[in-house]
Amino acid sequence: MTSPATASARSTTPRPPEPSKTKETLVWIGLLVLFGGAVVLSNARWSEISGIFTDGWRYLQLMAEGLFQNPFSEPYSEYWTLAFDRMLESVYMAWVGTLLGAVLSIPMGFLAARNVSGPVTVQVTRIVLNAIRAVPELVFAIILMLPIFGFGPVAGAIALGVGAIGTLGKLTAEALEGIDPGPVEAAKASGAGRFSILRWAYWSQVLPEVIAFWLYRFEINIRASAVLGVIGAGGIGSLLGQLFSRREWEQIGITLVVIIVVTILVDSISGGIRHHIISGSGQKVTTEEKVEATL
Amino acid sequence: MIELKNVTVRYPNGVVGLDGVDLEIPDGQFVVVVGLSGAGKSTLIRTINGLVPVTSGTLTVDGMDVSGASKRELRAIRSKIGMIFQSFNLVKRTSVMNNVIMGQLHHIPGWRALLGAWTKEQKEKGYQALERVGIVEKTWTRASELSGGQQQRVAIARALAQDPSVMLADEPVASLDPPTAQMVMKDLQRINRELGITTLVNLHFLDLARAYGDRVIGMRDGKVVFDGTGAEADDAVFEKIYGRSLTADDTLSSNA
Amino acid sequence: MTVTSTTSPHGASAPVRPKKPAPSPLLIGGLVLAAIFTWWAAREIEFTLGDLFTNFANGWVVIQQFLEPNWSFIWRVWDAWVETISISIVATCVGVLAGLVFAFMASRVTNRSGWLYRATKIFLSIVRSLPDIAYVLIFVALVGVGALAGILALIIFNIGIAAKLTAETIDAVEAGPIEAADAAGASTVGRSRWAVMPQILPNYLSYCLYIFELNIRSSVVIGIAGGGGIGQVLGVQFARFQYENVAAITVALFVVVLLIDQLSQFLRRRVV
Repeated sequence: MTSPATASARSTTPRPPEPSKTKETLVWIGLLVLFGGAVVLSNARWSEISGIFTDGWRYLQLMAEGLFQNPFSEPYSEYWTLAFDRMLESVYMAWVGTLLGAVLSIPMGFLAARNVSGPVTVQVTRIVLNAIRAVPELVFAIILMLPIFGFGPVAGAIALGVGAIGTLGKLTAEALEGIDPGPVEAAKASGAGRFSILRWAYWSQVLPEVIAFWLYRFEINIRASAVLGVIGAGGIGSLLGQLFSRREWEQIGITLVVIIVVTILVDSISGGIRHHIISGSGQKVTTEEKVEATL
Repeated sequence: MIELKNVTVRYPNGVVGLDGVDLEIPDGQFVVVVGLSGAGKSTLIRTINGLVPVTSGTLTVDGMDVSGASKRELRAIRSKIGMIFQSFNLVKRTSVMNNVIMGQLHHIPGWRALLGAWTKEQKEKGYQALERVGIVEKTWTRASELSGGQQQRVAIARALAQDPSVMLADEPVASLDPPTAQMVMKDLQRINRELGITTLVNLHFLDLARAYGDRVIGMRDGKVVFDGTGAEADDAVFEKIYGRSLTADDTLSSNA
Repeated sequence: MTVTSTTSPHGASAPVRPKKPAPSPLLIGGLVLAAIFTWWAAREIEFTLGDLFTNFANGWVVIQQFLEPNWSFIWRVWDAWVETISISIVATCVGVLAGLVFAFMASRVTNRSGWLYRATKIFLSIVRSLPDIAYVLIFVALVGVGALAGILALIIFNIGIAAKLTAETIDAVEAGPIEAADAAGASTVGRSRWAVMPQILPNYLSYCLYIFELNIRSSVVIGIAGGGGIGQVLGVQFARFQYENVAAITVALFVVVLLIDQLSQFLRRRVV
C-alpha cells in the first residue's frame, strides 16, 4: 500500500506550487455582491413571500375544487369550453403569426447570408435582423399594431410575425452559410440562372432545417401569444387577465390545466414532425440553435 | 484474491459476455488477458468491479461478494479496485490534480466534493500518486493539454490515489504509440512489483503479453481457453486462442 | 443488307425509363393539412391586412406621438430601470442554480433512478408549458403587485428553460469520465460534480447569460402584468395614452437590450 515513506525513487522532480485561487475567489465575491445588491435594489418586499404559504394553499384548494367538479355540469362545462376556445384562438394566432414571419424571413435570410449576398447587403440586413430581435413582441404589438388594427388577435398575429422575422432570418442565413458548396458549383458550371441556383442548390439544401426552425418558433409563439393576450390581443392571455383580476380561482385552475394540456399536445405534435423532417436530412436542431430561436 | 466460480454474464440484448468462467487470481499477480475483440476480455474486467452485472455464478474480490452486492456495497468494493481505460477517460476541462482526486471521491464527503475543497491529505495523496508515475510537474496543468501517454499516466495516478488492492486495465496501450506503450506497461509492472497490487491487463499484442504477464489468460467466445505463464504462451497457443494464424498486427514491435 | 440506325428505339437493349416517383403521400397529406389549418386559423382570428390601409390614417395620429419621444422621461423613471435590472439578476441567479439541479435530475446520464427521472421530466414539461405571464399573474395574486411577484415568476420560468437546455447538454457529454468515476466508486454527487460538470460548464455559463438576456426582454411583460420594474411604468403610461413616454421607454429598452446583448457576447467569448 502507498505510504509516504516508500514514495517512489523517481520523485526527484519538485512539486509545482498550487496556482493561486485569488481570481476565482474575486469572481465569486463579485457575483455575491452583485446578487446582494440586486436583492436590495429590486425593491421587492421580501416579507410578503409568506403569502405563498398562507394564500397559496387556499388558492390551490379552490383550483382543485374547480377541477374535480363534474365537467359536464353548469357552469363548469362552460369554463372548460371557454378556456379551450380561447386557447385554440391563441394557437391560431401563433400559427398565422409564425407563418407570416417565416415567409418574410426567407428573403431576409438570403440577403443576410455571406455566401449569397454582397458584404454591404449582408451587414445592413444583419443590423435590421438584430434590431428586430432586440424588440420584445409586446412592444411591436403596442406601438405598431394596436393603433391600426385595434385590440384583437390580428394585431397579435402580426406582432408575432414581425418578431419572428429577426430570429428566423438569422437562423436561415446561418443555415445557408453552412451548406455544401458542391451543388452550387455544379449548378454554376452548367450555366444555371441565378434564381434557379438559389432555388435548387441553396434552398433545397436548407429546407428541412429551416422548416424545423419554423416549427420550433411556432412552439415558442404559442407561449408568446398568451402574453400578447394580456394587453388585449385576445386568446388565452386575455381570459387569464380577466380571471385573475376577478380572482375566479375555480375557473383559473381549469384554464391553467387547459393551457398545459394543449401546449404539451401541440409541442409534441410539432416536435414529432420536426424530428421526422430532420432525421431524413441528417441535420439536427442543436441546443444552441434552440437558444437562438427563442430570443 | 479474486475468485470467479462458474460466472456467466449475459447482456440484455442476449449476447453472452462470459460463459461459465472459473478463475482464481492470487494477490500480487500480474495477469494479462488476451483474445480477439468480442472474446470477453473487456467483459471479464468490467465484471470484476461490477460495471457489468453477473448473471449467474459467484465472484468475490478480497472476500467481498461482488455478484450479490447492493449499490452501496458495490461502490465500496469499487473504491478498492483501480481501473485504467483505453481512452484514458480523464475529465479534460479540469486540472490533473482534480482528475487524480476523483479516484478518492468515494471517501470524500459530499459537500467537499461539491465545492472542490480538498484537504491537505487528499492533495498529498494526489501528489504521491503523480510522483509514482513521474508526472508531478504537470499537477496543475489542464488534462486537455497533455499528450496521450501523459494522460494515461495521470489515469494510472488516479487509480493509485484510490489505494487499490486490485488494478484493472482495459487495453491501456491500444491508443498509444509503441515507445509510449512500453513505458506505460513498465509503469504498471513497477507499481505491481513495488506495491503488490494485483493487476489484470487486457492486451491484444502478444509480445507485450509475453513480456509482462506473470500469467497469461486466453479467452475466446466468453470462455477461458488458455491459462499459463508468459513463457508457455508461444505462437501456437496464440493461434489457438485467436482461432487464426498470426499477423503483423498482433505484435507491437512490428507496428513500430 | 441495309444499314439501319444504331439507336433503334425498338431495340431490345433500350432500358425502360423509370417513372418519376410520386411524392410521398405523407408529404402531400401534411402539406394539405397545413394549408387547411392555415386557412382555418386565419378565418377564426379574422385575419386581414385590410386595416393596414383603411385605419392607417387613424393610426397615424398615434404613430406621430410615437415619433416624438419624450426623452427626459427615461431619466425620471431611473428607479424603475434599476429595479428591472435587479429583478433580472436575482431571478437569473436563483433560477439557473435551481435549474442546474433539475437538469441533473432530468438526464439519464446523471440520474440513476428511473422514476425520479420520469417525474422530473413531466414536472419540467408542465413548468415550461405555462407562459411567463401566467406565473406573473399567479404570484401577483399570492404576494401582491411589485418586484417580488416579478422575481418569483421569472425564477420559475428560468428553471424551466435552464433545466431543459442543460439537461440536453448533459445527455451529450462524453461517457468515459463518468465510467471512470463509477469505477472509482464515486457517489452520484461526486460523479455529477467532477465527471459531468466540467464538461458542461462552458455551455451552462452561456445559457446563464442567455437567460439573463431573456429576463431583460421579459421585463415589459412582467411589469405590465404587475411584476414591477420598467414594464410597470410602460403599462401605466400606455393606459394613460402617454405615447410619447411609451416611445421614449421603448427606445431606451431597445438600447439596453442591445447593450446587454453585447456584454453577454463579450462574456461568452471569455468563458467558452
